[in-house]
Amino acid sequence: MAGIMVICEHLAGEFSDITFEMLDVANKIGGDITAVTFGSMKEKSGELGIANNVIDAGGDTEYNPESYASGAKAAVESNSPSIILVASTSMGYDIGNPLAVNLGIPLASYCTGVSSDGTNHEFTSSLYGGKMSVTSTAAGPAIALMLAGAGDADAGRVSGSPSLSQVSGESLDRVRFKQLIEPDAGDVDITQSEIIIAIGRGIGGKDDIEIAEELAEVIDADIACSRPLVDAGWLPKSRQVGKSGMKVKPKLYIALGISGAPEHIEGMKDSTTIIAINSDENAPIFDVAHYGMAEDLFDVVEELIDELE
Amino acid sequence: MFSEQERMVFIGLVVICGALAWPGFYNMFKIIRKGGEVNRFDNIIKRFLTATIDVLLQKPIFKTRPFVSILHAFIFFGFSFYLLVNVSDLLEAFVEGWTTIDRGPIFGTFNLLADLFSVLVLVGMISMLYRRFVVKPKAFEFNDNVLLHPKVAKGSIKKDSLFVGIFILLHVGSRWVGTAIRMAEEGHTNAWLPTASLLVPLFSDMSPESLEQAFHITWWIAMGLIVMFIPYFPRSKHIHLMIAPINLALGRNTPVGALDPVIDYSSPGASGILELPWPQLLDPYACIMCTRCHEVCPAHESGTSLSPSALEINKRYLMNESGSSLAAGEDIQLLDSAISSDAVWSCTTCNACVSICPVGNEPMQDIIQMRRSMVFDSNMPDELADTLRSLDEQGNSFGESNRKRSRWTKPLNIDIKDASKEAVDILWFVGDFASFNQSCTDTTRKVAEVLTAAGVDFGIIKKGEKSAGNDVRRVGEEGLFESLAEQNIEKLAGCEFNRIMTTDPHTFNALKNEYPALGGEYEVVHYSTLLLEMMESGIINLDETLSGNATYHDPCYLGRYNGIYEAPRGVIERCGLSIVEMPRNRDNSLCCGAGGGQIWMNDHDDMTQRPSEMRIEEALSVGVSRFLVACPKDMTMYSDAVKTSGHEGEIIVEDIIDLVYSAMNMQVEKMLPSNVDGVLT
Amino acid sequence: MKIAVLLKWVPDLVEELEVDDDGIGIDTDDLKFKLNEFDDHALEEALQIANDGDEVVAIAIDGDGTEKMLYTAIAKGASSGIRLTGGSNSNTANLAAGFATALDGGNYDLILTGVQSVDDLDGQLGPILAANMGLPCVSVVSSLNVSGGVATVTKEYSGGIVAEFEVDLPAVLGIQAARETPRYAPVSKIRQVQQSTDLAEKSVSGSSTSGTIITAMSEPETGGGAKMLDDVEDLIEILKGLGVS
Repeated sequence: MAGIMVICEHLAGEFSDITFEMLDVANKIGGDITAVTFGSMKEKSGELGIANNVIDAGGDTEYNPESYASGAKAAVESNSPSIILVASTSMGYDIGNPLAVNLGIPLASYCTGVSSDGTNHEFTSSLYGGKMSVTSTAAGPAIALMLAGAGDADAGRVSGSPSLSQVSGESLDRVRFKQLIEPDAGDVDITQSEIIIAIGRGIGGKDDIEIAEELAEVIDADIACSRPLVDAGWLPKSRQVGKSGMKVKPKLYIALGISGAPEHIEGMKDSTTIIAINSDENAPIFDVAHYGMAEDLFDVVEELIDELE
Repeated sequence: MFSEQERMVFIGLVVICGALAWPGFYNMFKIIRKGGEVNRFDNIIKRFLTATIDVLLQKPIFKTRPFVSILHAFIFFGFSFYLLVNVSDLLEAFVEGWTTIDRGPIFGTFNLLADLFSVLVLVGMISMLYRRFVVKPKAFEFNDNVLLHPKVAKGSIKKDSLFVGIFILLHVGSRWVGTAIRMAEEGHTNAWLPTASLLVPLFSDMSPESLEQAFHITWWIAMGLIVMFIPYFPRSKHIHLMIAPINLALGRNTPVGALDPVIDYSSPGASGILELPWPQLLDPYACIMCTRCHEVCPAHESGTSLSPSALEINKRYLMNESGSSLAAGEDIQLLDSAISSDAVWSCTTCNACVSICPVGNEPMQDIIQMRRSMVFDSNMPDELADTLRSLDEQGNSFGESNRKRSRWTKPLNIDIKDASKEAVDILWFVGDFASFNQSCTDTTRKVAEVLTAAGVDFGIIKKGEKSAGNDVRRVGEEGLFESLAEQNIEKLAGCEFNRIMTTDPHTFNALKNEYPALGGEYEVVHYSTLLLEMMESGIINLDETLSGNATYHDPCYLGRYNGIYEAPRGVIERCGLSIVEMPRNRDNSLCCGAGGGQIWMNDHDDMTQRPSEMRIEEALSVGVSRFLVACPKDMTMYSDAVKTSGHEGEIIVEDIIDLVYSAMNMQVEKMLPSNVDGVLT
Repeated sequence: MKIAVLLKWVPDLVEELEVDDDGIGIDTDDLKFKLNEFDDHALEEALQIANDGDEVVAIAIDGDGTEKMLYTAIAKGASSGIRLTGGSNSNTANLAAGFATALDGGNYDLILTGVQSVDDLDGQLGPILAANMGLPCVSVVSSLNVSGGVATVTKEYSGGIVAEFEVDLPAVLGIQAARETPRYAPVSKIRQVQQSTDLAEKSVSGSSTSGTIITAMSEPETGGGAKMLDDVEDLIEILKGLGVS
């Protein structure tokens, strides 16, 4: 079988969880698996035991879109894989898309699953904010941008000693990495919270956050939110759950007025128990929640406060 | 008659004061002429006749503050009569031998009136000064956060009042004393001058020369002050005595629920004073700075930075200060000089300020003109922008897909006709709140059930109804309002119906008063009117009625705007309840605070208590436990207010349809069309 | 500085989506569309960063909604709008091909577009366009400053961490969030613009490359999804069972 290539993502010297998820996906497809690392991550190739070989594609220590994309191209050209898995993340967008154009091969975005017989591939993707599931196919070399959660990171973390080789891409100096900026600590680290009440656009207005805060006080929970509320300035960035926010794993996650777009789900799907309240019974959040109520969140929250106080 | 020198000095004084007064009056005239065009000169004779009668009967003043209105009546009638008195005084100085004393019964009556009015004016004026400076009523105070012109903040209104008060006291007082001196000169009192006669003994010991001198002094104080006061008029609120009657005569005679059209679409509304329509420039000169308007303003009463009174006062002070430059066309921005942005966005457009104003001012109209200009520059609260976006994209303020608009019908077991597909007698225009808001949809369903049980031939537009746009217009988004109205009118044009009914007074107002100008002329009826009609004609028959007390809240857009007060009361009473009126009822009703886009915006930070909560407490104060509404927004606002004010369990909020529904319950079996499968949910 | 903003018309997710009869797309009868939210942010950022003398040009492929998008952009402050005829917006490859032709020779310093859209199955426009045109690109940008031909941007990673990059202009940026929420354009202003302004037109063509082939579309299986509760009482039982309060 022609091979699978996994473009490994890392940040601040550690491989991201999604790297291991993609290795798990590759493993389940089967065949020759090549992992591509960048910067000095080749030193940690022992963590990539699922892969048969590791290609060090060079580039700066910290992610640089241009040098990593050209390194990835060199890796593909030297290896000729049939399927290339790239993370559907901020870093992945600037590697996977240019790769598709520069190699002239098809790309499928937002993949939740991939299957392949070596030449013909089938991609399952989540589209329209999670409201539709799309199946698409390609024959011959193709790229899949994999969503977080498509694979099992724990299953993908296998120690080993894959063989190591090197390629180098063009160096252009048009994009220069300056620094990483950590977020302001904020008063609460929601990644450590036991119980989280997360509010989304369904909360209506800034004043309405009060009622969620009241419930939070009653059940001793921390308040978190989806991105739109941070963009509107109602809550600080430290409270954002999602793709570019925090990843949380509380005992209990109560989602109020959150529709459940993939970017948000990514940040909370590993919560032990998820309860969702949204007046739209078709909201995608109900697919990932354990319990749900398709009711007006204000009515429900008010009753909860009354009963539990 | 006075000496030639005295007469010359007086004429000289008149000329000088006239010259000093001229620029002020002329600037005022020029400024008003620079305002936006609006026609208020139709039926001019009728306008002035009506205004004259209203002023003579003091009708606008007696709308509130009855005791003070009586004091004002004393001063008004007294001062008006004094015009004749002053003519007589001039004749005394300029015509040999002129006097009114001992010249027969006609002059006697004249003297009697002058005498009595003098005292009434003095009593009235002293009481008013006492009220302002000793009693210091809270109504005269502005909330701390209200933007005030620097001079006003330093107490200029008080100074103006003192000035005017002292002028009146001296003018009238001096003349009154002068009359007593005249009688002392004759050596006896006069039955036609009873009160002045009481002062005569004070002067009995003076020599004729001293008396003559004293009389001249009183004459000069009285007449001199009047002449010297003339240049002060353009700077003082006292000019209201000239301008208020004109303002009343040239007031709006079109329905107040139809806003003025946009004059210039490339720059709608007003950002500068001179961009306001000219009646809004006449208002500050008519304004007596009495603060009756902010006393009834729900925004001011609840602690926000909006005072309609401050708006007019600030305008006046700006116009006084920069009269010549304004008259030359140099405009002044209203925002942050006359009113703050926060205040502009605190208005609920309830029209209480306009309704209560004794001189016919319309502060609310200024605010709407400013909103038009601010919205054109996208200068508005973020939540409002979001709501307008939702209205533009989906035709409702809830951010819901337009296709979900008739979802409220799902739980019903009745098949409601689609008025866009078949002819109906009554087309029910449901409206945003009644369709989407969770606290209102039960009420909407009950209305459907009652109409069905009564056999009314009605239907709704199942697909394509959009917000009627009343509040879109009131937040100043003219373009979006027109867009929504055009779409609704097009939809309605494809429907066959006799009348349109709605439960929402805002929708009612737009359809009835605003749509005709855009080509949509319909017979529109509020459901309370329809219900009463059906009860009176026997279509709805209630054997089993309810009992007990309740109070009824008049919605602004049904009551104050459109004069419908009795139909809902009729419905309530026919259901068996007796109404206990709240102190602020009918056109004095206190707005729930939802209008003017407020229900789409966040609460203002400095609000001390919501108007809706105040209203619930007002209801509890008259001892009722049932609060009846006839508007979906009222339903939402008051249901919330009962909880947030901590009175849950003490009072319930119900819609008038709830009464009809309960009262009909005994009848439901009898009246159901036989193929309907039971309406009880 | 000359800034291009690329706009796309997408389905409004407030709607309930249904699969069409062919089974490989969504039913667009009666479906409401709107400007891609991220493109709106790109436009807002362009308007924010533009100084006097800078040009902001809004560009869109001709179709339903193009006039609305372009006139709205101008009403918000864009200098002009260009309508691209002959192209296709059916997928990212076509969009990129059309925009690349339109931008060629236009001397744009900055090309801004939304980081992604709800329907870009075959890849994100920003990086694909940049690769087509041989320009540098950074996606997921949430802050932007330009000085002396260099843009300083922050690119969002997860966990709230951002990375700062310098990018030589001309460049393509995929905007995640503008510094302010996108401004509102009053309908009366849009109407006024419609009457007083003309849109430029340019002829372009679609892409010749083929991407993946869609074979099926369906609403995601909710199998194993939430247990729906009817009563708040039931919810309270569950919370108590979890040891809450």
